[in-house]
Amino acid sequence: MRCLTTTHTVTKKRAPHRIHAILALLAVVGAMPCAMANATGKPDPSLVEMQKKLDQSLQLIEALTERVRELEARQAVPAAATAPGAPATSNAATPAAEATTGTSRLDADERKLEQLEKENANRSTDDTGLPLHGFADVGIGTHNPINPDLKGAYVGNLDFYLAPHLGDHTRALFEMNTEVGSEGSVDVDLERAQIGYQFNDQATVWVGRYHTPYGYINTSLHHGSWVNNTLRRPKFLQFEDNGGIVPAHTVGMWLTGAVHAGGGKFLYDVYAGNSQEIVDGALDMRNAGTSNGHIGGGARLAYQFKTGRVDGLMLGVHAFTSTITDDAVPSNATRVLAYGGFAVFDTDQWENIAEIYLFDDRDIRGGTSTHRSTAGFLQLGYRATWGVPYARYERTVLEQSDPYFAALEGGASYHRIALGARFDIDLKSAIKLELANTRLTDRSLDRYGEGLVQYAIRF
Amino acid sequence: MNPRAPASVRSQAAWLCAALLCTTAAGAAAERLDQLPQAWRDDLNQRLVLGDLVGHRVILSMAYTQCHRTCPATLHELQRMQQVLDRRGEQASFVIVGYDADNDDPQSWHRYRLTHGLARDNWHFLTGTPATVRRLARALGFDFWNYDLHVMHDSRVVFFDSEGRYSGGVSPATGNWAALL
Repeated sequence: MRCLTTTHTVTKKRAPHRIHAILALLAVVGAMPCAMANATGKPDPSLVEMQKKLDQSLQLIEALTERVRELEARQAVPAAATAPGAPATSNAATPAAEATTGTSRLDADERKLEQLEKENANRSTDDTGLPLHGFADVGIGTHNPINPDLKGAYVGNLDFYLAPHLGDHTRALFEMNTEVGSEGSVDVDLERAQIGYQFNDQATVWVGRYHTPYGYINTSLHHGSWVNNTLRRPKFLQFEDNGGIVPAHTVGMWLTGAVHAGGGKFLYDVYAGNSQEIVDGALDMRNAGTSNGHIGGGARLAYQFKTGRVDGLMLGVHAFTSTITDDAVPSNATRVLAYGGFAVFDTDQWENIAEIYLFDDRDIRGGTSTHRSTAGFLQLGYRATWGVPYARYERTVLEQSDPYFAALEGGASYHRIALGARFDIDLKSAIKLELANTRLTDRSLDRYGEGLVQYAIRF
Repeated sequence: MNPRAPASVRSQAAWLCAALLCTTAAGAAAERLDQLPQAWRDDLNQRLVLGDLVGHRVILSMAYTQCHRTCPATLHELQRMQQVLDRRGEQASFVIVGYDADNDDPQSWHRYRLTHGLARDNWHFLTGTPATVRRLARALGFDFWNYDLHVMHDSRVVFFDSEGRYSGGVSPATGNWAALL
């Protein structure tokens, strides 16, 4: 039995490759006679001979397949006998010594089986090409959810997402988003273009354009509105061209990973990249590189609890710094230092998120010294059977003498309270409603209310 | 007229047929439990061979522990199936295969089943390699894709009879799973 097992392991390892090779060959060869017969209208005698060979080959394949199945069954029986938690089988228990020897052999066989399955899976993926996925949303509101000067129906994002499977270690992620500007023009942005090497679960290095790892929502909720339970992000954490005041994207290098500890896990991020610039009142992440050579960077550290009553709780801190210039003449330069923390309680019932950002910005060229500002939000969501009702409070107090916030179109202070709900129509579409009241508190003292409806899908 | 043209046409037609055949083969569903990837780990980190479950009917679905929308609903439907079988006095193995092999290890599943009160020993929460997960998902029609921390997927349950033969698949929230029990 042991000798047979060893011999058969070799056979088993090679046979499926052989079968696949024969199948592929037969698929090509088998298709040719059909095409030839159709083209000429009568069968070629040589095809009859080929058909015979085909039949013989098919019989051989069936025999090989049966043999592989038989070997797998033989291997599975002792495997179950040595695994206490495995399902019961009809096989009797084996003596301890034999079981030990058998177990080590089975471990080796299992590794081979896993390797074989891995190869098959990789081949299957390659055969079927790269699936295209994405998100889209449209809506109606008393104001546009991004630009309150507009009202009525609006087209949101059409977001295409590609994550090709490239192998065991290389990862790639591309996200191309079409969005409608305030003038109605359609712009296409390569929101993310990152290629990375995954050493293991503990470490992956990405290079390219990625979502800057700060807080929680900037890396967990992206351009696809469907993913987000709320209708929109907090105003100050919107993407750059939607008025965000914190760089949502960075072009550079990012090391990220997770380490299990104490029943939960630590998540860490360290990154560095091109310093952003402010162009036409919006942050620009300098996709092609910087002309001034400034580099920004930061880090995030979080702990995710996975046991007991705090299961689903994540606590974290984050910080980033960057020298950001603007397009004024003469241009301003600000050493932006932002730091803060976040807390998330994400369970089957609750989605509660809080983030806070403290700014300690230094005016490098204007000599107006250091400016301190704060921004934050608190969001409570409950996953009910009928939907996800939520409430959110946002508040920013941004120093307007800080050249950084002064240059940003979205750099005004405000506070907003929003109540909303998400209703899932099916597994791929959802309708969200939101009522919000926003009050601007420095550049202008405007106050406006909003009633918003959004229809979001994934595909 | 180019005398080589028919051969060229034949060649193109042959490659087209070959491509179609290959595509069809790649998308075909598994007909038997023992045709699926066999090597898995359960939530006690013990090896489990799917083929060993033949003998009882098998009800299989996929999930991941960080899912707070679709997966809990799917598991709730599986519990309802269990109740129906209990009332009939029938046995079945419930198998939940993890979508997210990178994050959901056996320990994560063990905590999950304790937290969600899914302690019955005929329920198996399985972890595989990313490759085996993809292969099983493709064979059984579980379409999924990873979007950062999320796994985009639908709710689906497939059934195998007591001899390990595939007997059907259904979306448990909308489909008539009672007909497949």
